[in-house]
Amino acid sequence: MSRSLWLMIARVKLLFFLLPERLLRFCLAFGFILLRMCSNASVITVQLGSLGQADKPQIHLLPCEIEHDGPAEVSRYFTPTVKDHKNEMSVSFRGRGLKGAEINCPQGYTGLVLKEDNKAASDQEDRTVRISSVFHRFTYWNLETKPNSDDGVVMAMTWPALAEAVSVC
Amino acid sequence: MDLSEFEADNSVSCRLASAVPDVCRSEDCCLGIDEAGRGPVLGPMVYGICFCPVSKKDDLKDFKVADSKTLTEDERETLFLKLDEAKDFVGWALQILSPNTISTSMLRRAKYNLNALSHDAAIGLVQYALDSGVQLKEVFVDTVGPAEKYQEKLSQRFPGVEVTVRPKADSLFPIVSAASICAKVARDHAVKSWKFRENLGDVDTDYGSGYPNDPKTKSWLLKYLDPVFGYPQFVRFSWSTAQTLLESKSMTVHWDDDKEDGEKAASRQKCASVLSYFGRSKPQGTAREPHRYFSERKLQTLDML
Repeated sequence: MSRSLWLMIARVKLLFFLLPERLLRFCLAFGFILLRMCSNASVITVQLGSLGQADKPQIHLLPCEIEHDGPAEVSRYFTPTVKDHKNEMSVSFRGRGLKGAEINCPQGYTGLVLKEDNKAASDQEDRTVRISSVFHRFTYWNLETKPNSDDGVVMAMTWPALAEAVSVC
Repeated sequence: MDLSEFEADNSVSCRLASAVPDVCRSEDCCLGIDEAGRGPVLGPMVYGICFCPVSKKDDLKDFKVADSKTLTEDERETLFLKLDEAKDFVGWALQILSPNTISTSMLRRAKYNLNALSHDAAIGLVQYALDSGVQLKEVFVDTVGPAEKYQEKLSQRFPGVEVTVRPKADSLFPIVSAASICAKVARDHAVKSWKFRENLGDVDTDYGSGYPNDPKTKSWLLKYLDPVFGYPQFVRFSWSTAQTLLESKSMTVHWDDDKEDGEKAASRQKCASVLSYFGRSKPQGTAREPHRYFSERKLQTLDML
């Protein structure tokens, strides 16, 4: 499980998982996924029933850290100013020029954004998270330079294939 | 003045120009350079050139052109129309530097300051005139910074052209006054009819002068401040007025190239770990460092939410 479920941490406080679709299909039959994390005794339940209500937003991964967790007026301020000329995506954020590219989730994987509506009071309590969004691709933005194959996020997409190969050996 | 070319994409820099009069290609010409909208925190900065044969300098004087700042908006409009009608011997060209161009240039990793930006715009316009076949002999420039250095820079860049850089040139040389009128008219039009690319609905256009000390400008800046995105692209983010307001009223944003002392950055990054999203503290005594394959790819093994 630790191989197939992984977490990408970007500088932005966007938390998302890429989940193998096989696992997702299997778990859908039961309605939930149970995660038992090795670090503590509590059980985290991912409510798969929430998958149906999950929205499918455009996800933008920015090359900066915003000290904010919460809604943002993306469709008012950001999306209308994105330019996409001949596969060159550009925009500016807070007066800084960004260049972007669309990145697909690795084949067979689905991106999930999870949300915990009621925070558990203690470490020992079981927790429940729901799937707030589902995505298969996202826009990756770099400061002033065009995203390329040396960027961590771009390279990260090759891990599932490598993990697969390693586990076969 | 038709700004549709700029308005089609007002996030970039745009050049607008009149036709080049035939006489300017055969006779020795003088050219004036001036700018409009350098100080304001809102809208584009416009560089303008105006040129005519040296022999026609007096005809230009008869238009009673003057420093654009001493004229009313209506007077500037009328004078611009006169200049534009004198197309048999007067030509003009403009470089409109969008506020987004100004912000992204000044806030670039390798800083590109306003003076360099201005000088490059001016040089680009003179080069445009030369490329169009204008027989340039004299260039007159209005300047804000030190005149000597700028004059030296331009003289070196354009050998064979006599360059005069002078503060308040727009009130001393009619050809510079003419350039200042073209630039100011374009700037006024651009600000007045600014098409917001953002979905802001009906935008209050009572911006005031756009100068940071204008109370109307200040209240507009407060009204349209978004806690995450800051401002629409109409605002020059690089202006200290805008930055001060953002610092106090919007979410802090950290960039890779921010100048920050190491300790502060390290402690902040620790605090702002994505794991804190779910409000659990990290267990103490971390295991061995993951292979750099993972750190380079920003991958972490998930052991808790």
